[in-house]
Amino acid sequence: MHATLCDLITDLVQNAFEADATEIKLNVEETEKNLKVVIQDNGKGMSAETLEKAKDPFWSDGRKHRHRNVGLGLPFLFQTSEMTNGRVEIDSQEGLGTTVTFHFDPTHVDLPVFGNFTTAAITLMTYGFKGNLTIERSRNGMRYTLSRNELADALGDLNDLESLTLLKAFVESNEEELNHNDSDIL
Amino acid sequence: MAKMTLEELRNLRGSKKKEMTQRDGDKCAQIVIGMGTCGIAAGAKDAFDAFLDELNHNDVKDTRITQTGCMGLCFSEPTVEVAVPDMPRVIYGNVDAQVARRIVREHILGKSLVSDHIFDKPAQDIIK
Repeated sequence: MHATLCDLITDLVQNAFEADATEIKLNVEETEKNLKVVIQDNGKGMSAETLEKAKDPFWSDGRKHRHRNVGLGLPFLFQTSEMTNGRVEIDSQEGLGTTVTFHFDPTHVDLPVFGNFTTAAITLMTYGFKGNLTIERSRNGMRYTLSRNELADALGDLNDLESLTLLKAFVESNEEELNHNDSDIL
Repeated sequence: MAKMTLEELRNLRGSKKKEMTQRDGDKCAQIVIGMGTCGIAAGAKDAFDAFLDELNHNDVKDTRITQTGCMGLCFSEPTVEVAVPDMPRVIYGNVDAQVARRIVREHILGKSLVSDHIFDKPAQDIIK
């Protein structure tokens, strides 16, 4: 499985990029008792049969790499969920899109560490996806939202070094506020 | 750091505009980080953070960092393609944070390839 939950989330949002979506929403809700993640896209979706195949680590739709039958994105999610008594729901309809929802127990000893959300958010926002990606992030009641369209409007070319540097400062300042609130509670 | 608003972000970017307009697109160095499942698992995000930090630390301006999926060299992830004007395009393998910093200092600034991490092109079975 992935070393951090943020790595897993990055990988799953990339599935949405590759599903020809134009609108993607990532929602990451952390409380002391539950981590809920929802990845919703309006891409091409999957039939029930394709979804079943996608759970197999040695299956890929063959569009990217014709000779390589490996696809570890969803299998990593199921593996992590099974190891930690988590819950995964995938709702997909061909032509309409896919919604992946999972709940993990943050206190489970086998759950990977959460990881660095700032870098995950920056890499997703600057991946080259042309549609809109909205990230809603909350932690113990505090929340913030990032929208790729708004960021591109404010910064211009998001892949330019200055943009990336400012974007990092922006996301970090939002993350710090979430964690600052955390220390108030404790 | 106080929480930054979108408006503050816009203004900060605006103040950099002057520097930007003087930029020549062809003189821009390009860094492409492989961010497929394999890249992510091998620590491509650590390399991303290290590139950003080292470029700023050395005050390198004309650079773009983009991402791509798997380049087929899963065994040598994280892989990174670097294109500097007047130098060969190079794919580097096993780019951890330390190697990323070396690429900035030796390749982008020093114009000398980081020879012990070079792969010349993507894997054969990936090229169409």
